[in-house]
Amino acid sequence: MEKRRIVQELAAIVGPEWVISDPDELTVYECDGMTYLEKAMPDVVVLPDNTEQVVAVVKLCGREQLPFLPRGAGTGLSGGAIAVAGGVIIGLNRMNRILEIDIPNQRAIVEPGLVNLALTQAIQDHGHYFAPDPASQAASSIGGNVAENAGGPHCLKYGTTTTHILGLEVVLASGAIVPIGGKTLDCPGYDLTGLFTGSEGTLGIATKVIVRLLPHAEAVKTLLASFHAIDAASEAVSEIIATGIIPSALEMMDRHIIRALEEWLHIGYPEGAGAVLLIELDGPAAEIEAQTKQIKQICDRCGALDLRIAKDEQERALLWRGRKGAVAAVGRITHEFYLQDGVVPRTTLPRVLREVEAIAERNALVIANVFHAGDGNLHPLICFDSRREGELQGAIAAGAEIMRLCLSVGGSITGEHGIGMEKIDFIPLMYSPDDLEAMRRVRAAFDRSSRCNPGKLLPSSRSCSETTISYRPHRVERDGLAQRY
Amino acid sequence: MTSERLTGRLAEIVGADQVLATASCAAYAVDDHVPKAIVFPGDAQELSKVMKCASSERLSVVPWGNGTQIGLGGIPARIDLVVGLKRLARIIDHKPGDLTATVEAGMLLREVQASLRPSGQFLPFDPIGYERATIGGILATNASGPWRQRYGTARDLVIGIRIVHADGTITKGGAKVVKNVSGYDINKLYVGSLGTLGIILEATFRLYPLPAVEHTWIALFPTGEPAACAVAQILHSTIVCTRVELLSSVAAQPVGRQAGCAFPEGTVAVAVSVGSVPEAVDAQIAAIGKLCRREGAVAGFLVEGSAQDSLWSAICNFSSASTDGRPWATLKASVLPTHVVDTIDHAETLARNIGLRSAAISEAACGIVRLYWRGAPGVTEPDLISIAKGIDELRHWVVRHGGSLIILSAPSAIKAAVDVWGPVGAALTLMRELKQQFDPFGCLSPGRFVGGI
Ligand SMILES: Cc1cc2nc3c(=O)[nH]c(=O)nc-3n(C[C@H](O)[C@H](O)[C@H](O)COP(=O)(O)OP(=O)(O)OC[C@H]3O[C@@H](n4cnc5c(N)ncnc54)[C@H](O)[C@@H]3O)c2cc1C
Repeated sequence: MEKRRIVQELAAIVGPEWVISDPDELTVYECDGMTYLEKAMPDVVVLPDNTEQVVAVVKLCGREQLPFLPRGAGTGLSGGAIAVAGGVIIGLNRMNRILEIDIPNQRAIVEPGLVNLALTQAIQDHGHYFAPDPASQAASSIGGNVAENAGGPHCLKYGTTTTHILGLEVVLASGAIVPIGGKTLDCPGYDLTGLFTGSEGTLGIATKVIVRLLPHAEAVKTLLASFHAIDAASEAVSEIIATGIIPSALEMMDRHIIRALEEWLHIGYPEGAGAVLLIELDGPAAEIEAQTKQIKQICDRCGALDLRIAKDEQERALLWRGRKGAVAAVGRITHEFYLQDGVVPRTTLPRVLREVEAIAERNALVIANVFHAGDGNLHPLICFDSRREGELQGAIAAGAEIMRLCLSVGGSITGEHGIGMEKIDFIPLMYSPDDLEAMRRVRAAFDRSSRCNPGKLLPSSRSCSETTISYRPHRVERDGLAQRY
Repeated sequence: MTSERLTGRLAEIVGADQVLATASCAAYAVDDHVPKAIVFPGDAQELSKVMKCASSERLSVVPWGNGTQIGLGGIPARIDLVVGLKRLARIIDHKPGDLTATVEAGMLLREVQASLRPSGQFLPFDPIGYERATIGGILATNASGPWRQRYGTARDLVIGIRIVHADGTITKGGAKVVKNVSGYDINKLYVGSLGTLGIILEATFRLYPLPAVEHTWIALFPTGEPAACAVAQILHSTIVCTRVELLSSVAAQPVGRQAGCAFPEGTVAVAVSVGSVPEAVDAQIAAIGKLCRREGAVAGFLVEGSAQDSLWSAICNFSSASTDGRPWATLKASVLPTHVVDTIDHAETLARNIGLRSAAISEAACGIVRLYWRGAPGVTEPDLISIAKGIDELRHWVVRHGGSLIILSAPSAIKAAVDVWGPVGAALTLMRELKQQFDPFGCLSPGRFVGGI
């Protein structure tokens, strides 16, 4: 049989124990963090140990005309690591070595399967860390972070993953190994590293990643400001930014989230709070001292009910606990929810949030908001119960309306989670056919055969069949490794 | 197409007064290649029509901002038409509350800054010759200066872009928000592509608030070694600097003179700026001063106010500011921060061997070293071929140490003898594929980019 032959050949490349073709074992790979939209079974999964093996697998796929895709930890939230077209999943989890740590130059070279947090743990004794901090950092791989250009609460000040990636080794669909960028800055030629970052596994497989490391800040301060309503909190956000302060994190939660958190974790938000802001400052001690004073004044001016400043590491963790538990808390008060991801200019926040409220009412649903307010990155949680007539359709419609709303104010349909499969039918709302054509050219330059992660990022004629969108906890959440926040 | 027919067709699009031909073209020569015509479109639609016309005739086109960095790039294979962007010079949108602005490519950086300043914001670019550079030119050449230490480069600051392609099609990338992962991050492709993939029409930037106070500490060292140690210490400390510059002794002298501070002969200078609230600036500047003394600085002083402005202006406009010899080649080496001083020393030795002096100005913490190779006072015309050989030799050394070296500007005879960009390895095939996809007829700045792209 054809498949058996291919499995044997793959086994010859990576060793039989690193090839998965048994249908039961393959179910782990039928979806990623986007557990609700669609599932698809790969024909086979291989787990190579090094670049040469990746090349051999990719060349075999070329010879057999098989589609293939790279996969890290499978925590992606837009279906990027789902084998929609079948074929071979190339799992990079075994390629998780740290190849070089160069503290004097603040760089490291790692393999793509290395878990994000493992890098920071390996260098913390040197007083450095790897800045990208997606909520999934205890589980997600650096290769996956690169592919999704992952963000996190602290990218407001330090930039998303792309800011921290200096170079890559990439295996193309042709099997060619191409080093791009490097340990030094400003490598001559087109910025292929920048282009590859965020390409969702469609341009090739990253087999090495050169990253930048940052020294820890002198001091950190965490504040929690509570307000009657979203409008006042949004105003405070705008004022903080306008004064010239760039907090390292600036997160907001609305009344639905506050209620859900109070019922569950009893954080102790003040009575009557309709919105809370979690503000974190880091930098030179004298600077954050002065900024704390400024923020206090701003919060007073904006009518804050309360401003709490963490006295120690313990209290800081407590303040973050609410923020980190927000999504899970909502999971406890609704049967299902649909997590959206969109971005708006931060000055439009009050208007956009009022609109989101109106969308919720129109669709007779509750939409809870917890988000990266500092960079305008919304994460509306659309609550529904698919057992009730029409609610699923309402939630899907509300999600689409929110995306349109983000675009109408000059924003984006995704700030962190990517297009993947989930939003492939929505990207034409944001970009014209000509804009998308330019992206197709990029793809064609890297992979003429279109066999590298087909059905993602750029729409073809294939239409998406949305069946269910309800939230299910990801494996890493069940294992207590990560929380969505 | 004859020159007359060409200017006629262009005049139909933009009006006769916006087309230059024959004699006036010499001022727009690129490496001694004189174009047939210069055209100044007044808006996006005119630019699109110009490109449609040019591509239907398979004309080669070089975009032109203000010409300050036109020296960067290989000798063009062909040049028929220069598209001047000076009339595309508006701020389309500035949202102070969002710290974003959308600006047309032909606008002078200086004017952008002037219009942002009243809202206490700025666009943190300070490349060589920034006083006359246009936004499009800065993006196309990926030019940067001392501020990159704190604010990064164009790749970090551009959040949206509009491009006119070879066939006149206009496309956009990105959005007006600071965080966005929908589709490929195509802005990155155009930044630094030197007009070989499309013409940048406008860009949206993330802006930064002007710091409440900014002060600079200058420390003087007897040699490069302790200066580099001081820079490394600062880099690994919790001090947050906006600029960290290392000036070789050859560069420090003229910069000092220009900025009105006399540096003793032979000293290497380190200039470090800190911008923040006053308390934090004072505390960090004090820490820097102490640290430099510990590393062996022989002198140190604080620079602020207008003296600070002239110091940084002298650093950023170094080449033109110097008077003790004609600049023969300006190079940019990108090395690991730990190799900065060795690179500077090696360049000095090689330059001396061919009768030149090498002055180095370096964003030392980023590993960027600009080298100005100039005639030593009293030395007559040096031999261009030996300069080319010297550059090649230096490049070999830099590449062997994991870095890269490009020529920022040099006479055509030097560029003809040594590749402007140096090797890019296996990635060149990919770059050629991209070029083929975006400009199949090779009309956009042919021959100016890596590998002859
Ligand atoms: C609980 C939870 C919280 C999360 N929080 C955040 C958050 O705060 N911010 C955020 O941005 N995201 C977040 N995510 C999403 C997700 O964790 C990130 O997108 C992460 O970067 C994905 O990494 P991964 O290793 O799981 O990649 P996968 O899911 O395995 O793959 C994602 C995409 O990357 C491609 N890919 C993987 N490895 C490579 C490689 N080596 N070369 C090329 N392409 C590759 C795949 O083909 C796929 O398209 C969260 C997810 C979960 C489940």
